[in-house]
Amino acid sequence: MKKSVYGFLALALMFTAGCSSKNAVAPSGADEASAPAPAEAPAPVSSVASGPSGYGFDEYQTGPLGDVFYEFDSSELAADAQAQLQQNATWMGSNAAASTMIEGHCDERGTSEYNLALGERRAATAKEYIVRLGIPSSRIETVSYGEEKPFATGHDEAAWSKNRRAHFILK
Amino acid sequence: MCIYVLLPSGTMNDIQPINETTVSMRHSIRRTAALLLAFIACFSFPLSAMALEGEYIAIRKEGAGRIALVLGKPLAEGGKASAWSAELDREIREGLAFTGIFNMIPPPMNLFETGASGKRTLNFGALNSIGAEIFAGGSLSAEAGQVKLSMAVYETFGAKPILSKVYTGRPDNLRAIAHAFSADLVQLLTGRRSVFGSSIVFVSNRSGFKEIYSCAFDGSSLSQLTRSRSISLTPSLSPDGTRLAYTDYSSGRPGLKIMNMADRRVSSVRQSGVSIDPGWRSNAEVATTLSFEGDQDIYLVRPDGTLARRVTSSRGIDLSPSFSPDGTKMAFVSARFGNPQVFILDLGTGQTRRLTYNGNYNTQPSWSPAGDKIAYTTMEKNGEINIFTIRPDGSGATQLTSGARENESPSWSPCGDMIVFTSGRQGQKKLYVMNANGENQRRLLQMEGEQMQPSWSFIR
Repeated sequence: MKKSVYGFLALALMFTAGCSSKNAVAPSGADEASAPAPAEAPAPVSSVASGPSGYGFDEYQTGPLGDVFYEFDSSELAADAQAQLQQNATWMGSNAAASTMIEGHCDERGTSEYNLALGERRAATAKEYIVRLGIPSSRIETVSYGEEKPFATGHDEAAWSKNRRAHFILK
Repeated sequence: MCIYVLLPSGTMNDIQPINETTVSMRHSIRRTAALLLAFIACFSFPLSAMALEGEYIAIRKEGAGRIALVLGKPLAEGGKASAWSAELDREIREGLAFTGIFNMIPPPMNLFETGASGKRTLNFGALNSIGAEIFAGGSLSAEAGQVKLSMAVYETFGAKPILSKVYTGRPDNLRAIAHAFSADLVQLLTGRRSVFGSSIVFVSNRSGFKEIYSCAFDGSSLSQLTRSRSISLTPSLSPDGTRLAYTDYSSGRPGLKIMNMADRRVSSVRQSGVSIDPGWRSNAEVATTLSFEGDQDIYLVRPDGTLARRVTSSRGIDLSPSFSPDGTKMAFVSARFGNPQVFILDLGTGQTRRLTYNGNYNTQPSWSPAGDKIAYTTMEKNGEINIFTIRPDGSGATQLTSGARENESPSWSPCGDMIVFTSGRQGQKKLYVMNANGENQRRLLQMEGEQMQPSWSFIR
């Protein structure tokens, strides 16, 4: 299942490479796993779906831009998250009129003031990554909701993992 | 200042006994009349007795246990006055019990004694024998539609008068009279400002939106302060209680708002962009986290919304400022080393040192009004959040809550005797209060929905 997306991923990354050619700065925090890879050598990122399903697309995300997810008390972009952001940047690149609002969200654990700050960092790191891939900063706004607007209402890791996200809304 | 007005002629049948426990007095009108005379004798000293306050505090040992208090119900004549007296007695009792600093002892049967001259006086021997340290009692009368409460307080050992004062007020607001006396009593005995007259601001989702509310120290006088129908968070009252700083989403993003408490007009501090969790340094400066320069740092902002200066500059989240009473030091949360910990910044030297080392998640510092402790919360490995206090030098970490889910957002009472906090121990988040040492934890107010992020301040 994971391998089935590599073809699209490679294409997406090629396009991404094209976008980012205008930008000499490498994506923040990117390692070799997320660097643009040649088509014949699929990037070793784990999984990004080719459409509105899979990693960044669940019942809470209906637009063309997939959400990205985080570990507890972290705003770092894992390989999956970077791959999804590359896909989002690709879409933004080919839909030049589109602009997006990135909402930073947290799970209910921890304290709400800190989660408000953490959500802001999550939205900011997602935006920064896409901007470094060549999408103008002016097309991306961010807002943090901390733990104020959870997606999944449960009180276990299944819910928490869905709530630790940068949520993309097409404006 | 004495209460010679108290004793009109006429029937004494309606005069209540000092207290239900003084049953032997119930049937003796003459004895009751004598009691009143005794009180008159007792109260015949001037208000300057207030000046004894410092002396009293000096002889009371620091850190001594609860103050053993005998409270006599105010003597009153007439059905209406008796009803007022009963209500005042109840309000005073409830208020003093709320403070957690008193051990309320029922009056002894022989509260009064007859001297050789036939004059009845307070029986300090009896008061001492039951372990009372302080006796407070008085009388009540009506004058021109006003309720007049004359109270006297004695240190029982030595039969020393330490307070005599008359309180007047409207019959429909007996609580205010009761709290005025209670405030004087607590200040007299502790040397510190009391909870009486203080307010707590907090967030509740009762309306379906998170709005800011206020209530009196004891959970009464509930009032809704914001109606933004967005998300309003982290209210903080200025030290003088005239301004409320908070974060709200009415602009679409979390922004700093400052409400004038007198007319409830709200000004937006918009030039600084996103703002999180304000905390007052003084009446002239509020600190908050701003990120318009890229990183999340703490800035000092004037109440008119202009920036005073930036006070932190580390990479990563800096959050939740809480200042020492003199405003020279700031406790705050920083994730500069990865996970959130409490740090202290000396605003004079610019030096920052880490305060908390236990655990991976320490947030919500709250500096005590006396300056000797900082309360904060720790998220434990099992997901519980508990409240601790620690001295500013990092010693003496003490856990105040345990085994009761999430306990968050500690905020000190103006006197430093109590802490208000949020707890999910019964499911929904509600407000609780406890003594500063963690004892006497109980619900603060009954209110629909969830309540959180309390901030306690003094308002007059």
